[in-house]
Amino acid sequence: MSRLRMDWTRCDGHGLCARLLPEAITLDEWGFPVIEDITGVDPAAVRTAVASCPQLALRVEK
Amino acid sequence: MTTLDTRPGVVDTPPLFTIAEPRLLASRPWDVPARDQRWLVEAADRVGLLGRGGAAFPVARKLAAVRRGARVLVNGSESEPASWKDRVLMRRYPDLVAAGTALVGRALRTPRMVIAASDAPSVAALQAAALRHGAPIEVHLVEDRFVGGEIGALINGLNQRAAVPSGIRVLPHERGLDGRPTYASNVETFAQLGLLSALGPDAYAAIGAPAEPGTSLLTLHGTTRDGVFEVPHGLELRRLIGPHTGPILLGGYHGTWTTRDDLAVDRARLRTQGIGWGAGVVAVLPEDTCPVGEIARVAGWLAGQSARQCGPCTFGLPAIAGDLADMIVGEHVDTGRLRTRLGQITGRGACHHPTGAIGFVASGLNAFDADVRRHLAGRPCGRAVRGVLPLGAAR
Repeated sequence: MSRLRMDWTRCDGHGLCARLLPEAITLDEWGFPVIEDITGVDPAAVRTAVASCPQLALRVEK
Repeated sequence: MTTLDTRPGVVDTPPLFTIAEPRLLASRPWDVPARDQRWLVEAADRVGLLGRGGAAFPVARKLAAVRRGARVLVNGSESEPASWKDRVLMRRYPDLVAAGTALVGRALRTPRMVIAASDAPSVAALQAAALRHGAPIEVHLVEDRFVGGEIGALINGLNQRAAVPSGIRVLPHERGLDGRPTYASNVETFAQLGLLSALGPDAYAAIGAPAEPGTSLLTLHGTTRDGVFEVPHGLELRRLIGPHTGPILLGGYHGTWTTRDDLAVDRARLRTQGIGWGAGVVAVLPEDTCPVGEIARVAGWLAGQSARQCGPCTFGLPAIAGDLADMIVGEHVDTGRLRTRLGQITGRGACHHPTGAIGFVASGLNAFDADVRRHLAGRPCGRAVRGVLPLGAAR
C-alpha cells in the first residue's frame, strides 16, 4: 500500500494538491493539506499532484 | 524516602530524593569496568533497558544498530522545562555520566564523543569530570530551545547547520554527527549503562519491576515535596504523589493528563494504557490554581516554541492557545472549531512537537472537563493561575 508523505518544512500551503486530488486531500483553515488515505485513488492522478507541488513537498512512499 | 543533601558548590537545583535503594544517586562513585559492544548489547537486552529521553526505545537494539567506529552523542540538552532530572544528574553526578559515555565510546572504538547540554553549570561539571577520566569527551553548550532538544535538531546544530528538525527524518544511526553513523541517547541512558557495567545485569536487575528492572529519575511538580526523585520501576504513583486526588500529568508538555489513580512507574504498562512516560515528568495541580489557566499557559508557551517550519504547527498551535486564553476569562469559544483544530494537527509536522503539544492540551481539557465546561459557560472559576507548571525558567 502506498502513502503520500509530506515534507512539512517545504509546504507553503499553495493548495494545488487539494485541487488536483480532492478525493484524498482537503485543506485546513490555514490552507495546509490534510491527507487522507490514497488507496483506490488513481495512481496517475496521485503522480500528477506530486509532480505539480510548487515546493516539491509531496512524495509517494511505498 | 531519603533526602539527599545539596552538595556545596552546586548551583541551585531542586531537592533530590530517593524512594527505596538509590542506584544512580548512590553516594559511592561507581567503578565502571570496560565492556565490549556485544556485552553491552546483551546486558542491556537482559535488563530491558529503555532510552531515557522520552521515546523509550530499547537501548540494546539501538546499540546493536551501529558498527564499530560509530560516533557517540549524549543528549543532555533537557529542553523540557518541567524536567530537571538530567541537569541534576549532570551537575551532581558528572563522573557517572563521563564514565558511561567513555564506556560506550570505548566499546564502539569511537573516533568522537560529544555531550551536549544547554546550561553552563552542567557543561562545567561535565568538563571537569571528563578531565578526571582522561577521556577525550567534547562537552558542548547548545542553545536552550524545546524543539532544539529533538535529536535531529541537536545533530543539525552540532553539524553547524540551523538547529531545527530536518524535513525528512534521518535517524542518527544512519547519519548523525559529521554526517556519520552515531549512537545517540539521553544522558540518563549513558549513566544507566555505566551502572549496568558496574553492577552486572543480575545485580542491576535485583530491584525494579520484572519487565523493566532498575530505577528511573523523574521530576515531580505540584506536591508538598517537589523535586527530582530516583525511584524503582513498578512504584505506584500514589506513593510518589501522596494524598492528592485529581488528574496527573505524565511525560511533561508532550505528555498526557490522566484521571486514573492506579498507575505505576512502568513504561511498558503505561504504554498499553495509552500514556507515555516521556522524560519522567509527573505533575499534579493544587486546588488553589485554575487548571484551565495552567494548561492555557503551557499551550501558549508550546506555540512559541515552534521552529515555525511547518504550517500546522506555526498556525495551529497559536490558534489553539488563543482559544484557551479566551476560555480562561470566560470569553466565547467556538468549541466545534477548537475540536477540529485539536483533531487536525496530530502527525502533521517534521518533528513530534505539534503532535506532542496537542496530546498535552487535548488530554488536559478532557481530564479537567468539569472546569472546562464551567469556563465555557462563561463562569470562570476565579482562581488565580499560579504557574505550577514551570515554563523556561533560569537554567
